[in-house]
Amino acid sequence: MNTAISVQALHKSFGRAHALDGLDLTVRTGEVHGFLGPNGAGKSTTIRILLGLMRATSGRVTLLGGDPWRQATELHRRLAYVPGDVNLWPALTGGEVIDLLGRLRGGLDASRREELLERFELDPRKKAKTYSKGNRQKVALVAAFASDAELLILDEPTSGLDPLMESVFQQCVVEEKQRGRTVLLSSHILSEVESLCDRVSIIRAGRTVESGTLAELRHLTMTRITAELAGPVPELPWAGGLVTEGRRVTFQVADHDLDKAVRRLSETGIVALTSQPPSLEDLFMRHYESEKSAR
Amino acid sequence: MTTGTWRLTTLVIRRERLIAPFWMALLAVLAAGQAGRYAQSFPTARSIADFAREMAANRALTAFAGEVHSPTVAGMAVWKNADAIYTVLALIAILTIVRHTRGEEESGRAELVGAGVIGRFAPLTAALVFTAGAMVATGLICALAMISTGFDVTGSLSFGAAITAAGLVFTGVGALAAQLTEGARAAIGLAALVLGVSYLVRFTADGSGLTWLKWLSPQGWSHLVRPYGDDNWAALLPALALAALTAALAYLLAGRRDLGHGLIPQRPGPAGSARLRSPLSLAWRLHRGLLAGWSVGYAVAGLVLGALARSIPEVSRQGASVQEFLRRYTASPEASMTDAYLWLIALSLGYVAALYPLLALLRLRKEELEGRAELLLATPVSRLRWAGGHLFLALAGSALILAVAGLTLGLAAGDPLGVLGGTLVQIPAVWVLAGVGVLAFGLLPRAAAGISWAAFLFVNLFGEVLGPIMGIDYWIAKYVVPFPNLPMVLSGEEFGAGPLLVMTVITIACSGAGLTALKRRALA
Repeated sequence: MNTAISVQALHKSFGRAHALDGLDLTVRTGEVHGFLGPNGAGKSTTIRILLGLMRATSGRVTLLGGDPWRQATELHRRLAYVPGDVNLWPALTGGEVIDLLGRLRGGLDASRREELLERFELDPRKKAKTYSKGNRQKVALVAAFASDAELLILDEPTSGLDPLMESVFQQCVVEEKQRGRTVLLSSHILSEVESLCDRVSIIRAGRTVESGTLAELRHLTMTRITAELAGPVPELPWAGGLVTEGRRVTFQVADHDLDKAVRRLSETGIVALTSQPPSLEDLFMRHYESEKSAR
Repeated sequence: MTTGTWRLTTLVIRRERLIAPFWMALLAVLAAGQAGRYAQSFPTARSIADFAREMAANRALTAFAGEVHSPTVAGMAVWKNADAIYTVLALIAILTIVRHTRGEEESGRAELVGAGVIGRFAPLTAALVFTAGAMVATGLICALAMISTGFDVTGSLSFGAAITAAGLVFTGVGALAAQLTEGARAAIGLAALVLGVSYLVRFTADGSGLTWLKWLSPQGWSHLVRPYGDDNWAALLPALALAALTAALAYLLAGRRDLGHGLIPQRPGPAGSARLRSPLSLAWRLHRGLLAGWSVGYAVAGLVLGALARSIPEVSRQGASVQEFLRRYTASPEASMTDAYLWLIALSLGYVAALYPLLALLRLRKEELEGRAELLLATPVSRLRWAGGHLFLALAGSALILAVAGLTLGLAAGDPLGVLGGTLVQIPAVWVLAGVGVLAFGLLPRAAAGISWAAFLFVNLFGEVLGPIMGIDYWIAKYVVPFPNLPMVLSGEEFGAGPLLVMTVITIACSGAGLTALKRRALA
């Protein structure tokens, strides 16, 4: 089996509000899959349906080859989940919570648990109510990474971690991948997505708008050109977001028009030229912002 | 230091705008409704005086209600319901003040507010202003309800003042408890402990005839005001003094500690656990504090109440009211007043214990709302196993506390096994409430807390208090409340398993329906 998660035309409505409106998501076994979208796009709702906490209104959902609603308990033996907002039992210590969650998942690797506690610099003897948001997340992360689950579902797992811990987290995900585990990573941190994810899905207003490898997605966007010319700026009908300051010009251009635009510039004479590939930020901003206009 | 108090007070008022009017109205109905009902039942001065004389002689009843101070319709209405009003209002005061002080800190909302232009003492002041204001308003509403029914103005005002006083004392106690402990539940537990002790002291004073003991109990002070009797306003002074003292101590502590912390510092705990291996063992960790508190409280209550059994005197059984009393609480002419008293105590322990399974099951909803259930249910734990663990502990816990109270009550009363049997028969009736709790949680999760508290109040008030006020015959209660159906094994009735089996079946059916609904619904 080479598909860990398969979601097709998923709909979920709460009364008259449509949280999910035909969402598609395919996560291949062994990949780290980025799950992106603005706040309220439906990421957490999708994850809750994948975990069998909610039932889909319509659509096909397959998780590790099973039905997440009907076979929730069996499927949960094979996955570990870290929620975005980790709430723990205030009177239990972090270590007790890690052991509890580990045992419920069918046992955890004691030496790996120790190692992770050290790497995440987490004191397991503190009561959960004294932990900060970041430390509560570490508890859930240690429990998840120390389990032998084949699928990890991580919902914005690093939103409370400092940069140092963020890098420990990234190493851990890389290790998980090397062990052949599948990871679904919902995140807003683009550097994290860029360095970890094999493929990403971007959703907006309950629908998948883009899905593929980062290289594929980049291809869909524009290159940013900044040029200083020998003479006045010529007509550039292919340019978007054109800004002219004397002989200096900045604009964006689609890949298939790149050649024409650069030729036109060199006709005037190029003094200096920089070209930037589309950054992930550009990619996401384009999708996130078009949501505003969609509303 | 109190900047922003008024803005916070309006926020509290907004959050309480539905629930506060509800209980204020309920208490006013308890006060004035009872009086209206007595005015109909006892149309002449002679008939109410006869009733007052019979009741005053019946110590099994005066232990619960207090002394009779005025053989008038208003006086008897106060006698009948005042103690319930004082106690219920005190409990409401505790819940309200803790909700808006420690409860807010625990949820983290206080931090959000505290970062604004808000003085250090503003949240506590706002909570106190609202809660104390609500206590004054409740007293005033009850007094006005009595005046508008046509009773003496001075007596009505002193009654209102006695109600307010009981509420104010426990507003202060609750505020202090909220500063001492680190969690809202612990604060409620601590303040409820004070309330329980205060109740037992007052009960002992009236049950034993040592009425001076009432001066040692906050509820006793309200009783000592003697509305429609000699209106002893001086008895309000200790109440006001204690309310002021506890509030002042609360301020003192609030000024010295950090947000989110209590007085007792946190110690490091175990770095891991081999015992937490199942949803049931986790549920046990979550419930054991509640269970320990109730067990100790019930053990002490059993001892005190049992010791009083020997001092219940026999009475003449001629009057109509005594006849009705015997009809309700005894099943044989041979049953003594002591037997009637012990059955009443066993019933009361059952009525109060009905809260235990509801509180235990509301933890399920709290776990769901605060996201901990999600963490657990994303592991191979089924919803059934998760909820089942809590249900099991709710059922076993309520059985345990009744057994504990039965043992101490029986030991103190001199009939260990017999009395134990009398409290154990309460178990199936208490379990019915657990069934209601599970059903509400499964089917109507958003309303679960409201339904649970309403069910508890309904069961406790319907037969003895609300039913009579609404003119419903006492025996109707048999069809809607489990407790009147129990065999009165302590006062002359043979044990019969029939009603107990019916109640068990109802519990199983409700729990089954609730758990089935839980399996099908979306989690919050």
